[in-house]
Amino acid sequence: MTGRLRDIAYGILGLGILFAVAEAVPRLGLISRDFLPPADEILHTLLRDLAGRELWTALGETMRAWAIGLAIAFVLALALGVLIDAIPGARAATTSTVEFLRPIPSVALIPLATLLYGADLGSSLLLIVYASFWQVLIQVLYGVADVDPVARETARSYRLGRWTILRRLVWPTALPYVMTGLRLAAAVAFILAVTAELVIGSPGLGLQIQLAQSGGAVAEVYALIAVAGLTGVAVNLAVRQLERRLLAWHPSVRGETTR
Amino acid sequence: MTGLPLRLVRLLALPVALVLGWWGYSVLSPSFYVPSPTRIATAFADVWFTRRILDDVLPSLGRLLAGYALAALLGIALGVAIGSYRRLRLTAEPVLEFFRAVPPPVLVPLIMLVAGLNDTMKVLVIVSGAIWPVLLNTVEGVRALDEVLADTARAYGLRGPSRLWHLVLPAASPQIMAGLRQALSIGIILMVIGEMFASTSGLGYTVVLFQRGFQIPEMWSGIVLLGLLGFLLSLAFRAVERRVLYWHQRETHA
Amino acid sequence: MRRTLCTFLAATALFAAAACGGGSGSPSGKGSDGTKTIKIGAIAIADTAPVYLAVSKGIFKKHGLNAKITAVTGGATSISGVVGGQFDFAFANTTSVLTAAAQGLPIKVVSNGASSTGVVGKDFCAVLVKKDSAVKSAKDLEGKTIAVNQLKNIGDTTIRASVRKDGGDPSKLKFVEMPFPDMPAALSKGSVDAIWVPEPFVTIAMASGARPVVWPFAEAASDLTVAMYFTGTKLAQQDPELVKSFTAAIKEAFAYAEAHPDEARKELLSYTKIDAKTADKIILTKWPQDINRASVETISEDALNDGVLTKKPDLDALLP
Repeated sequence: MTGRLRDIAYGILGLGILFAVAEAVPRLGLISRDFLPPADEILHTLLRDLAGRELWTALGETMRAWAIGLAIAFVLALALGVLIDAIPGARAATTSTVEFLRPIPSVALIPLATLLYGADLGSSLLLIVYASFWQVLIQVLYGVADVDPVARETARSYRLGRWTILRRLVWPTALPYVMTGLRLAAAVAFILAVTAELVIGSPGLGLQIQLAQSGGAVAEVYALIAVAGLTGVAVNLAVRQLERRLLAWHPSVRGETTR
Repeated sequence: MTGLPLRLVRLLALPVALVLGWWGYSVLSPSFYVPSPTRIATAFADVWFTRRILDDVLPSLGRLLAGYALAALLGIALGVAIGSYRRLRLTAEPVLEFFRAVPPPVLVPLIMLVAGLNDTMKVLVIVSGAIWPVLLNTVEGVRALDEVLADTARAYGLRGPSRLWHLVLPAASPQIMAGLRQALSIGIILMVIGEMFASTSGLGYTVVLFQRGFQIPEMWSGIVLLGLLGFLLSLAFRAVERRVLYWHQRETHA
Repeated sequence: MRRTLCTFLAATALFAAAACGGGSGSPSGKGSDGTKTIKIGAIAIADTAPVYLAVSKGIFKKHGLNAKITAVTGGATSISGVVGGQFDFAFANTTSVLTAAAQGLPIKVVSNGASSTGVVGKDFCAVLVKKDSAVKSAKDLEGKTIAVNQLKNIGDTTIRASVRKDGGDPSKLKFVEMPFPDMPAALSKGSVDAIWVPEPFVTIAMASGARPVVWPFAEAASDLTVAMYFTGTKLAQQDPELVKSFTAAIKEAFAYAEAHPDEARKELLSYTKIDAKTADKIILTKWPQDINRASVETISEDALNDGVLTKKPDLDALLP
């Protein structure tokens, strides 16, 4: 335990160094304050924002788009993945399409989203769903492919129904993969939610950053970026926790200490 | 139907069906925003088989490659350093966790503020996002260095640069490659975003330009081109990856 | 075969779900007080003061309308908003309206939006450069980078026209997109060579030492109709009464703004981030009741010349 404490102390030291550097560099005049305000100023702005309502409203908007988009993408990808697995030959027939559509950068759809939905939630959702969908689908396909064919044949010869096989055999095998997909998709969805706000101007954290930059409020820009980063950390941690809960029985988690 | 014909059918059946479906949809319910594939195809030829290749596509690719190369070099160098020293890693970990979680596009306004509106800005935008997956994966790869291998290397007196080249990098290369793969897709995304903000050339700029002029088929052709680019780059990456991992096999089992 | 069909259908359904969705029709429902709620898209510059006045002075209410204004960044955004059903009415510059109409987007102009003063040196829109810049007239802008709020709109069209009139080559100009509020800072930092801004940003930029060199609106055409209010053709056909009320309200607001310029200046403080001192100094837009068709035709020809327009829009169908 003392070892763990020491590790944490190192981490705090690291954060302290970052803060000290960010404090010293503008104060010593190495970088102009117009580009990097001293760290205490940023912290002060951040605390002021956290006490206000505007930031929380914006963050709420962002997280709403994130949650809805992620849910839609997850359900669609899961359904399609299971469907592809259930239909013989579908995997081979869909591979080329999936491989082609997957690398399309979702930001390429920004102009289309703007035309269809303007600066509305719909724009954010279009981008979020497109980007996170592939993350989940690929993992689901890996997962269902990982099912032991011998076990599958055995189950079939015992005349177990499709549904039973899916629930008892395919699902437990695929679950870790699905969770990895969810974890990747959660991070991607958050990035796209903020991006949509930044580029299209739908309400949320990204728009606030854009406005702060327009107004020349540099400390505010940094404070909001810090909020975005902390939210990102929180999203990652939350999904990891969920993963641990759901997969507590699974060897891939049991054998793992901290990842 | 066996062998090659079957494989071709598998490869092409669904894409052809999808395009036909799109075409049918655009004929049955003509929507302004969903032009027929034939219109997009003609727009594609008209738009991209012209000087635009030189004026917009090449600068985009140049910026992408410059940013990506820089991110890869910095990421691997820092990653090896951080991964090799436990204390350094423990100190840097929370800071890295934080920076990794910052959505890269958020930094665009900031980088515009600092670097102005030029190619440097666009390259920096790409670096700022693409560096993290490389860095973090390199750290993991170097950390997981096999004890036995490390002992053997010590016994043979492998030190410094040659240890790095013959032991550390080959052993970490699968992880590094995984990081580079993620960095490539992030790089493409940031290339487009960087060009959507205050730009005078590039793919992202062109697509926005078409949207501003309500030239919908042309806009779609830009989206298709970006898709093709992403697809081709991921193919190219795979080819490189195979070569590198082959090298890794040879180095570690030599 | 059936299986392939199933897969195909599933994939298409998914693709359709991702690709369509589209904008729904606008819910302009009746309010509890008998007014109809309408959504308006407008850019936050001095040109749009009347529409904000119409809300604050109760002019819309008088015409049985309850208006909600959303700020947009430029013409392309407001046109997409109207076509996608996000807005019932919107404000956009003449070039964007013409481009959209030429491309076959279903829009219908309902009233004038803003007109230039027509006086060089005393207009509400200018191209500004740094004080020490070598640019002295429009011709000198060749090869320079100019910031506009959106590409392919009234900004680049009229700047090109001014450069052409001054004997320069308009194809040598470089335009970059940037929101108006960012421009004065970008100019003083030197990240762009010139900026094209309307009031209040002309005054703001001049306060930080920028120098106006070109007055594109005044130079491009006489009594130029710079922008217009418009709606979707569907709404225009379905609810002509609503369009009539909106047009009447806007015309009344125009008359009010022309008669009370101080009120218009005061209104600016409510929707832009400027101070009262700047608001007192700015040059106000002209708000005549009617669209000057000749100037719209001039813009249309200029845009055709520059390749911004690929075909001539049908002005008879577009204009009221």
